[in-house]
Amino acid sequence: MGETLLEARDACKVYRAGEIETLALAHIDLAVERGEFSALSGPSGSGKTTLLNLLGTLDRPTSGRIFVTGLDTTEMREAARAELRLRKLGFVFQAYNLVPVLSAIENVEFVLLLQHVDPAERRKRAQHVLDEVGLGALAEKRPNEMSGGQQQRVAVARAIASEPEIVLADEPTANLDSKTAEDLLDLMERMNRERGVTFLFSTHDPRVMARARRTIRLVDGRIASDERRRA
Amino acid sequence: MTLLRIAWRNLWRGWRRSAVVLSAVAVGLCACLVLIGWSHGWVSQMADTAVSTRLSLLAVHAAGYQANPDVARALSDDGAALARALERFPGAHVSPRVLGDGLAQSARQSARIALLGVDPEREARVSMVADSFVEGGFPQATPDGVARALPGVALGRDLAETLRVRLGEKVVLHTPGENGLGAFRVSGIFHTPSAGFDKSTAFVRLEDAQRLLGIPGRVHELAIALDDRDRLPQLTAFANAELPALVPGQSLEVLSWKEREPRLAAMLGLMADTAWIAYATMFAGMAFGIANALLMSVYERMREFGVLRSLGLPARDLVWLVLLESVLLTVGGALCGVGIGAGAVALLRRTGIDLALFSESMAQFGAGARVYPELQRADFWSPVGLAFLTALLAAIWPAWHAARLRPAEALRHV
Repeated sequence: MGETLLEARDACKVYRAGEIETLALAHIDLAVERGEFSALSGPSGSGKTTLLNLLGTLDRPTSGRIFVTGLDTTEMREAARAELRLRKLGFVFQAYNLVPVLSAIENVEFVLLLQHVDPAERRKRAQHVLDEVGLGALAEKRPNEMSGGQQQRVAVARAIASEPEIVLADEPTANLDSKTAEDLLDLMERMNRERGVTFLFSTHDPRVMARARRTIRLVDGRIASDERRRA
Repeated sequence: MTLLRIAWRNLWRGWRRSAVVLSAVAVGLCACLVLIGWSHGWVSQMADTAVSTRLSLLAVHAAGYQANPDVARALSDDGAALARALERFPGAHVSPRVLGDGLAQSARQSARIALLGVDPEREARVSMVADSFVEGGFPQATPDGVARALPGVALGRDLAETLRVRLGEKVVLHTPGENGLGAFRVSGIFHTPSAGFDKSTAFVRLEDAQRLLGIPGRVHELAIALDDRDRLPQLTAFANAELPALVPGQSLEVLSWKEREPRLAAMLGLMADTAWIAYATMFAGMAFGIANALLMSVYERMREFGVLRSLGLPARDLVWLVLLESVLLTVGGALCGVGIGAGAVALLRRTGIDLALFSESMAQFGAGARVYPELQRADFWSPVGLAFLTALLAAIWPAWHAARLRPAEALRHV
């Protein structure tokens, strides 16, 4: 059994809007190990993004506990959680979410800047990662000068540049056409294989599920199935 | 790539909004500087009028004269030795004065007067009256051998109007005492910015006043002016140190105009202070403008802030980012505002601000119909400092709002 990077123990999430309570996640027990290339699947509203947010310390569970590399994040102060995200986690969002006023290379550099990496080293590493995702030539372009697929590649580059323990990707292919989505999946698979980057996706894209080596299916906030397949 | 650069680019991204906020700061500061300049100009003009008419920057009297201005409480001589000593102080000018109250009577009317006996040449160095004659001038010495010529009296314009006399006409002056009666001919009519002064003052020659008041060879006051008014404290110290030894038998009082007219000094101080209420109101309006623009810009970028927080940007740095945007806008606005404001004041200083419409009420305060604004270097710091404080205070709420949201909430923001 591999090293556990993320773990949810009896995690529940309830959203409250006035008097109305909505149970988004119910008693989730889940562990994600180093090297996985896994997908959280399920219909809309099944709790995929909510679970990803809890595991990524972007939100707190209503009850239960969340561990990142063995550290209990549940009671952690917000500043410590931000530091944990900075050092251990990478994120790729459905809507790319690049910083619009920064160029491609500056977006990639941003996390390294927060990690106080020396400027020259920062630029070298950012350029290298952009080359790896095939966008070395577009380094100085701003997000609005790039296609959706290119922006998502920059987002992947940004997520892996700081060499995180795990990359959490929320529906990364949802806004991409088939060809671009396949290219992006190729890229992430290669990063997983060659760099050993662990990936956890939330998705309802069959192309992603077909590539995932583990698929955790959520229905109504509960884990309905958890299947692994051999690589 | 730093937070500063991101903040800078964010400002350009919403350049229209930035331009509006920057203009608000610039207009606020510019208006504030013009207001400060106007207020200083006005106050200093009033002080100027006061020390150049009935008061003087510094005055030397026999001890107790200020509290009880009795005719008999005069200096023991004509004050020539004291005046010589005082004029050793660089830039000091001295005019001996005889002071008294009395009554002026023309063929048609009579009025109470404040009588000032002066040496016209010396008085011209300490007072603005010599330059304020609309007709004639200070009374000249009666030519020798013209026994029947009447001595001259110079009247304020309002006093002349009350008495209904014109240049060259006869006026009789009465003062208390045995010899307190004399006929004079109007030698000049003056008009100063002070309505009160013009309404009550009559100037005669020193010797005529001494005769009327029965104090031959003596004066009540040495009125002192300085080329550089900022050296008043040194002059006061000089006078206190040097003068007593010159008149061993008499004690003196050396008083600045603020000590002689504490109410006027307090009023001028109060005017300067109340101007702050105007500045504060202006900046409060500005604060709401900045806060509104920043809040809108923060709301629009909530999702983006969520991304930054997800990537590990500490909440503290997010606060800095929003504050930096506000500070950059304020720096830009302050530079424009100070530039335009200082330019406007420099221009108005040349042309003056024409308040002819209010000239009568202005004269009640001893200010002319044209106010010349003044700005000193220190005047820039308070409004600029206040602008920065306002910008920071206005940005704190939006910044705090941006920082306190959980990343997941911010990411859901549409």
